Formats: sequence, C-alpha cells, structure tokens
Amino acid sequence: MSLLQKERDVITRNEYADTFDFAEIENFIANAPKELFITHHFKKRDRLLVQPRGGFPTYKKMFELYETFMGADIDVLPLTVDSNTRLNDYAMAQKMLRLSEENEMDMLNGYPLVNHGYRTTRKMITHFNKPVSLRHGTPDARLLVETALASGIFEIEGGPITYMLPYSKNFPLDKAFLYWKYVDKVCALYSKLNEPINRESFGPLTATLVPPCIVIVIQLIEMLLSLEEGVKSFSVSFSQNGSMMQDVITSNVLKKLAREYADTFGSQDAIINLVYHQWMGAFPRNKELSDQLINTNTVIAAMVRADKIIIKTRDEAFGIPTMQCNAQSVANTKYTLRTLKGLPVMSDAEEEENLELEVRALMDAVMNDPADTLWRKVFNTIKSGLIDVPFSPHIINHNAVITIRDDQGNIRIIDKGKLPLPDRCFAYEKSKVNLPESKTEVINKIIHDIGAML
Amino acid sequence: MKVVTGVVGNDIHVVANRLIDISLQARGFEVFNLGVNTSLEEFIDAVVETDADILLISSLNGEAEGWCRDLQFLRSEYNLREDVIFVIGGNLAVGEAKQDDIIPKYRSYGFDLVFHQVDLNTGLDELERYVKERA
Repeated sequence: MSLLQKERDVITRNEYADTFDFAEIENFIANAPKELFITHHFKKRDRLLVQPRGGFPTYKKMFELYETFMGADIDVLPLTVDSNTRLNDYAMAQKMLRLSEENEMDMLNGYPLVNHGYRTTRKMITHFNKPVSLRHGTPDARLLVETALASGIFEIEGGPITYMLPYSKNFPLDKAFLYWKYVDKVCALYSKLNEPINRESFGPLTATLVPPCIVIVIQLIEMLLSLEEGVKSFSVSFSQNGSMMQDVITSNVLKKLAREYADTFGSQDAIINLVYHQWMGAFPRNKELSDQLINTNTVIAAMVRADKIIIKTRDEAFGIPTMQCNAQSVANTKYTLRTLKGLPVMSDAEEEENLELEVRALMDAVMNDPADTLWRKVFNTIKSGLIDVPFSPHIINHNAVITIRDDQGNIRIIDKGKLPLPDRCFAYEKSKVNLPESKTEVINKIIHDIGAML
Repeated sequence: MKVVTGVVGNDIHVVANRLIDISLQARGFEVFNLGVNTSLEEFIDAVVETDADILLISSLNGEAEGWCRDLQFLRSEYNLREDVIFVIGGNLAVGEAKQDDIIPKYRSYGFDLVFHQVDLNTGLDELERYVKERA
C-alpha cells in the first residue's frame, strides 16, 4: 500500500465521516457523467460560466437552493461549507445541524459536508447533474476534499496561501502547504479516471487594496504547487480591483504568465482557466446600487475574457442572501452576458510591461531561494517579506507594503516594504500618485480607497 | 511614547487594526501591534515586556466587553506602572447601544478613554490631547 493511501486511510477514519469505500468511489468517478465535471464545460469555451455562492445546513434546504438555482439556468452550482467544518470542528457542526433540522432554523452558515457524508450528498449532486464547486476556507481540508470528491464535487477551491493569509492569525503556514499537497495529490489521482478534477485558487486574498503583482505571483505559485502534484486543470482568479484598466492588464499578464510558467515547469498538457470575482470589498447598503455594481462587474468579467464569473447579490451588505435573491442575481448576470456582444480587445502596453516586470522580479525571488522544494521556497519568501499581502491578519505576513489608489482608481504601491521590485517599476508606481503632504491625510485617503464602492 | 495595540477576543477584523498601526506611527508613536485575536492577558504581558505608556485595544465585532472586564484585576496582579493609559475603541456593543451607557461601563472596567463608533483620527487627536494634559 502506498504511503499516500495509508495517510488517506487515517484521514478518512473519522467518527463524524462516512466509512470510505475507496474502490466504490473510484468506480463512481470513473463512470460519472461528463456534465458533473466543470473541466468538460471549460473545454467547450463557448460561454462565460456563472456561479453564485451558497450553502444551507440541512439537506432539504440545500436541495431547495439547487432547485431554485436550476430555475435561473445556472452553469455551476456552489457548495459552501459552514464555519465549524472549515475549522475541522465536526462535533459542533453535528450539533448545529441537528438543531437546524429540529427547529427549521439555520444554525450554520453553510452545508456541513463531512457530517452529511458522501453517500447522502452524492444523491443530490447526481440528481441535478450540474458541475458543483466546493467553497470553503479550510487550512486542513483533507477530509473535506475526500468527502467532496466522493460526492461528485469535481471542482475544489482554495490553496495553502490564499486560504491562509486572508483568514487566519496563526495556523502554521508550513502545515498548510503539506495539507494542500495531499489535496492536490488526491485530485491528481482521480483526474486519471475520467475528466480531470479542477483546482481553483482564491485570487481576491484580503480584497483590501492588494496590488495586481502580489495577486498574480500568488496565483502562479499555487498553480505550480498543484501542477507539480499532477493536477491537470487549474483556475487562476482575481477580483474586481476598482479600475477597469487594471483589471484588463491583470487578466492579460496573468493569462500570459500562467501559461508560460506552466509550460516551463513541464505542464504543457495542463488546462489553465481564468475566474473573475465580482467586487469582494464592502458593498453599499442600498440594494439598487448593489445591483448596479454587480452589473458593472459582469461587463468587466466579459471584457477580461474570464472563463467563469463568481457573483454577488444585492443582499451582500446585509448577510447571507435568500435563495430567491441569489437565483435572481444568477438570472440578471446571465441576461447581461447574453446582451454583451462585440467586446473590444483592450490593453495598455506600458502598464502591462510594468506589471509583467514586477511579477517576474517577485517570481525570481521565489525561485532563487536556496530551499530544495517549491513549497519551502515560497514559505521562506513569505516569511522574509519578499511576498507580502496588504491587510493579512496572519502573524507570518510582514504587512509592510502600503498601497493607495491613483486618480484613475488604480492600486499603486507607495511603500514596497521588502518586495524585491525593480527600481524602475517602483518609480513608475510612485510617479502615478500625488500623495497629500500630511500623513493623516494619506491615511484618510487609504480608508476612502478601501471603501471605493460604498 | 510606546503603544501596545491589537484587536481583543475572537475578532479577526484586521483592516482597522492596520490603519491604527500606521496612524500611530505617523503621529510619532512607537507601536507594538499584536494584531487580531488577542486576549487581555496577552495585551498586559506586552505592556510589561515593552514598558509601554499606552495600551490601545480595539474591537469591531462588539464582543469586547466580555474580554475586558478583568482589566482592573490583571492590572493589580501584574503590578503595572501607575501611569499606563488604557484606551479602548471601535464598536463596543453587539447591536445598538447608547454612548451614555457604554462609556461609563468601560470606564468602570478601568479604561481612561473610551471611543464607541468614533472616527479614528478624532479618537487619536483626543488621545494626544489627553497625553499632553497628563504630562
């Protein structure tokens, strides 16, 4: 028995999980309908796939949510898990699930997938016969992902950096790398049986003035970490930045470099997709204005030629949306996309060149670290502040980089901390902004820039 | 002057914490930022360790009260310097609450300055004024 299989046996033997029958699961995946694989839909490249977020505690309500989404002609169904599952606290999830079932009240902010188990969940997923995407935020997602794949969920979001630096204060980053290595290995293993399993990174990070070069570098790194374990389909992603031009050049540079780095590292056969998130910062408390923001985002997703868009709802400022509101948002987005024709191809040569130079400099810093494996190189680079995510709560993150918006809404770096940016790139960034004299005014401007869509 | 700051309790709201850090530095303070998810005991430990003049606790999720009740007790247990200034600010109650109810309550826990839903720079201006008066 392989070492990985031994580990899988240990991980899946859990009192809150189903008893795993790996032979049966392999058989299920090998014979699963193509419709369940998002990779099958990506291959056609005939439209921008629309996916909302969503998860309710009970099977019954989750089923209703999917039925409601099907009425809106949805492309990709979401399965968002609850916060206890994200922290591997299955006992609490169990308790809250029972309370939700008994009282017809939602005591969890998502679907406790491990507790429901794969045998039950698979019935729902095969019933609707649509691709399902797993949305979570879990540093140790090993059991969760085993359960998801066995259920017929063939797209797994997350990664050791993007599910760690924005969400956690002190979960050990080195452990996260190893736990996600397991996830990638299992995804790669199942990818040989049918259509490939798709892995997706979470590009929005803290969604708080993160400069494009940091987003792209982290997307490339998580992509390479997955590909090196044998993953054959990977989605890089980013969210609306606040400047349409910066969104366009982020997309252009990200697409170009993702393909280039994948090829250089021997994954010419891997499929790379682009996912665009609608605005991930604070939404206005006015629902009509929220609809406008969402619509603008849909236009940009089409402009940047994304393969999938992850949408928000007009209820964003108020909490978890109702299923009707969520489905309406799907229908609205699909309508906008249907009416958008003949989009021009856009670019800005100077901006693109600058961004590409920045990304290459940061990637060189990672690759030149003397450690022996990629994940250790990345770990060292984050630890020493050569990669630094603005507004991350994690203790390992340096938080030395300071960014601000220029007159066009572009995010510019005004303090580079330890980022190894070439001098000319940093000079270019700084030349774009006129900073107020007083530091207090600068800070007031940063506060204003964070809430750009309020 | 040295300031220890951070977000108290199971609260991960980091944006304001970073802005407080930058703002204090811009005003010339030496800042020791413990970040989010910090317990009161960790704060007091840091005040002792850094010999800080000010402890500035922030909270956004409204749960600060339960985490800060023991300030007087910890203050005497740790034998802190008499002149350390204790400040708390942010959103200091779950749901709606009146300034008139909240400020006296937190004062009674041992805070010298209490800012409930007060703009960051207004609060820091007042802190600087308070420091000057005390000197």
